[in-house]
Amino acid sequence: MITLQGLEKHYEKTAALSQVDLTIQKGEFLAILGPSGCGKTTLLRLMAGFMKPTAGTIRFGDTEVANSKHSSKPENRNIGMVFQSFALWPHMTVEEHIRFALKNHRFSQKRTAEEQAARVTEVLQLVGMEAFRERYPAALSGGQQQRVALARAIAPEPDILLMDEPLSALDAELRISMRKEIKQIHKKLGATIIYVTHDQGEALAMADRVLVMQHGQIEQADTPETIYQSPETPFVATFVGKANLVEGTWNGNHFTPSGSLLSWLDNGVSEQLKQKQLFPVRPEEWQLLPSEADGLKGEVIISQFQGTERHYVIRTEGKDYQASLPIAAPAWREGELVSLQVRGRKTQYTTEEVLLELR
Amino acid sequence: MQLIMKSRQLDKGRHSALRKLPILVGILILFFFFLLPIVRLILMSFTSGESVSFGAYSEVLKESVTWKTLWNTIYIVLGSTVLSMIIGITMAAIMAYTDVRGKAVMQLFIYLPFIIPSYITTLAWVQFFSSSGPLGGLPDWLIPNLYSIGGIIFVLGISHYPLVYLMTVQVFRRIPRDAELAAFVSGASRFTCWRKVIIPLALPGICSGALLAFLSNLDNFGVPAFLGIPANIRVLSTYIYEQVIGYGPSAFSRAAVLSVLLGIVAVAATLIQVWLLRRSKVTETTVADNEPRIQLPSSQRRILQTVLWIFLFGTSLVPFLAMGTVSLVQAYGIDLTWENLSLGNYRYIIFEDEKVIRSLGNSLLLGLITAIVCLVFGTIFAYYRSHKQGIFPKVLEAIITMPYALPGTVLALCIILMWMQPLPGWYPGIYGTPAILLIAYITRFFVLQFRGSYTAFSQLDVRMEEAARTNGANLFTRWRQILLPLILPGVLSGALLVFLTSLTELTVSSMLWSSGAETVGVIIFSFEQAGYSTYSTAFSSLIVLAILLGGIAYLIVQRKWRQRGRKA
Repeated sequence: MITLQGLEKHYEKTAALSQVDLTIQKGEFLAILGPSGCGKTTLLRLMAGFMKPTAGTIRFGDTEVANSKHSSKPENRNIGMVFQSFALWPHMTVEEHIRFALKNHRFSQKRTAEEQAARVTEVLQLVGMEAFRERYPAALSGGQQQRVALARAIAPEPDILLMDEPLSALDAELRISMRKEIKQIHKKLGATIIYVTHDQGEALAMADRVLVMQHGQIEQADTPETIYQSPETPFVATFVGKANLVEGTWNGNHFTPSGSLLSWLDNGVSEQLKQKQLFPVRPEEWQLLPSEADGLKGEVIISQFQGTERHYVIRTEGKDYQASLPIAAPAWREGELVSLQVRGRKTQYTTEEVLLELR
Repeated sequence: MQLIMKSRQLDKGRHSALRKLPILVGILILFFFFLLPIVRLILMSFTSGESVSFGAYSEVLKESVTWKTLWNTIYIVLGSTVLSMIIGITMAAIMAYTDVRGKAVMQLFIYLPFIIPSYITTLAWVQFFSSSGPLGGLPDWLIPNLYSIGGIIFVLGISHYPLVYLMTVQVFRRIPRDAELAAFVSGASRFTCWRKVIIPLALPGICSGALLAFLSNLDNFGVPAFLGIPANIRVLSTYIYEQVIGYGPSAFSRAAVLSVLLGIVAVAATLIQVWLLRRSKVTETTVADNEPRIQLPSSQRRILQTVLWIFLFGTSLVPFLAMGTVSLVQAYGIDLTWENLSLGNYRYIIFEDEKVIRSLGNSLLLGLITAIVCLVFGTIFAYYRSHKQGIFPKVLEAIITMPYALPGTVLALCIILMWMQPLPGWYPGIYGTPAILLIAYITRFFVLQFRGSYTAFSQLDVRMEEAARTNGANLFTRWRQILLPLILPGVLSGALLVFLTSLTELTVSSMLWSSGAETVGVIIFSFEQAGYSTYSTAFSSLIVLAILLGGIAYLIVQRKWRQRGRKA
């Protein structure tokens, strides 16, 4: 278990991380998600021990590994790390990389020469690189290099595996297949994985829990489903779900978009969003209806074919909304007038009579 | 538990104070060796007798010799810089953009005048234009007199054009081809394209190369010493030398004034150069494009190739052959025929004149110790510089650059002033021993090693070291297994540069040598001054041969090294 308490990191005067409190369970796969400069890498490097916190503490189990005065070195922590740039050593073969880790890692079990050779084979088999043991990094593709980096990190069986955007240097297709492999390796090892990424797809697909960060602070930490379906803050809603934030007024559990007489029923919008008088609508939640129907009136500005779906930009009074509809739904052309409604949320006019009738 | 934690913290506290100690000692040493000598020079220039005054300045600036020397310096430095620029930029444009063949070999020939010390190049040119040289058959009025301002400009320009070439060719190659094509599409002629697109984009690189050439011309001692002193043409660097050598300590404050003047110009030029280089970083993001952009018709290409080869052979091979020939005749001035051919000069310098072998031993030993000291400490400093943020490491870097940015004669005077009496009342007796040469070499060439090592470190992904740390490797293991193997090629080429430069150093040595502590440069210089041209050319030929062999060996080792880690 990793416990972070009141963790802060300042560079000169700017705060890269402020007041982070977090508990990570043993064996958990935690993804830290956020845009660049949000402090996610700082958080990871603090856990690795490459820097000392300005305030707060980090505990691995019962041992305090870092506070503002003393921070144990990375080489004395029971961790493994995978870097965005792979950080392979160009003068060592694949096998030498794994051996280096087995020989030097201070928490790795002591092995005889034969046991070491067996472990090398085992780890290389796990990442599917056994055929490349004698190769130098320069003779490997990007995906193969990342597998070596992964093998090097897991070979000494560390308790905690830190991953710093490990897939962002790979091409799109490889990224998707590596997701599955990392997930499987996590299942086999049972190690705690802390995975930093700016790709929300990666975080949602792999993690047990997603931590969304912005401006050095935790915005929300929840299961992928909760993060996606019930964002707590405007930032989480837009960053993870790409939601449109409709402005208006909340009245109990009814929302009236500004400039309209509509009333949308709440089904799980967070308190914070309500206080800010916002209603989040993800692109796939919109319904486009002929302009005569009830709903927010708007004009289709952009209509783009995207294969499995069609993307629209709809301009209503004062605001553009993004919508994305399955290809099976009837297509709208640019310039057509439409009515916007939210799928699955009851829409009605806010007249006293209607409200009374409903009750 | 809390108690344990606390005692551990205390332990760490004492530990970190101890760990700060080497850094503090290092900083003190840097200040003492690199900065204090310069301070002492400035102080000396304001000292007359026991009091602080501008007396020395007004006295020196009143003399007509000073002004004559200043004007000579300006003519020579500007003239040779312009010559270097014309040759350097032309060569760069041809090598970067046209499709002439054999560029790799040509490149080597371009660098040749650069790796051979300029006083040896001077000797070679003197022999080339001498009456017994290859042009000896021509009437006298057709053979230029090298012992003149024009001669000095010519040799300096030829020796330093590789600097302009090097800086410019890189920028030329990095100018995106698309920028050029866009100009053509917009209707520009090739001339307009050069005027409006290529030259403005390459300007920071060209200026930076020109300033480097300017600095080298200003700093150079060998060429004006060999060609100017016999003809009574003085420049600042030789004038300072004459003051110190001729008049001893009584002339120190006059020499200090001249040195401060020369030093200010050199430091100002260095600062501008650094600033320009930072500005041209913009082009560094684009990848060098080595594909030729101008396809010449084959007849024109052949003519251009012939012209280039004539120039390259003429500037980097023929003079040295002329020098080699002179070294093989029995006596200076007689014609080279089969009967006159002998190895007598070589036998003399190797077996009979003990000074030659002694100087060779001295230079080798000095070069070796300098290279090793710089290798160890320069690399440690480079590691520190690349791992520490903030202004302080940059200030330290500026301090160690100073002794190299200053002209050699100026530094030599700094070292004399400093080490005669480093601290009030302390006379270590270093002045007049080989030790002062060693100190001078280390302070002057330290930055060369630092640059080489720093480049090696900056090409290394810091994550590689971090990856080793997360795998439990301690500082020692990281250096031995990760850092050293990866930085070694860069570090060693820096060390080789330091070694070669120290081996053939003349400027600083000529002011600091003492009997028994002669160096190679000093001996060649004294042979030449005494008129023993056959001996000086023989010794120079040996040195050139050694440098060439060393260079070839280095290229082979480097190629072998590059192949490591690439085999599948």
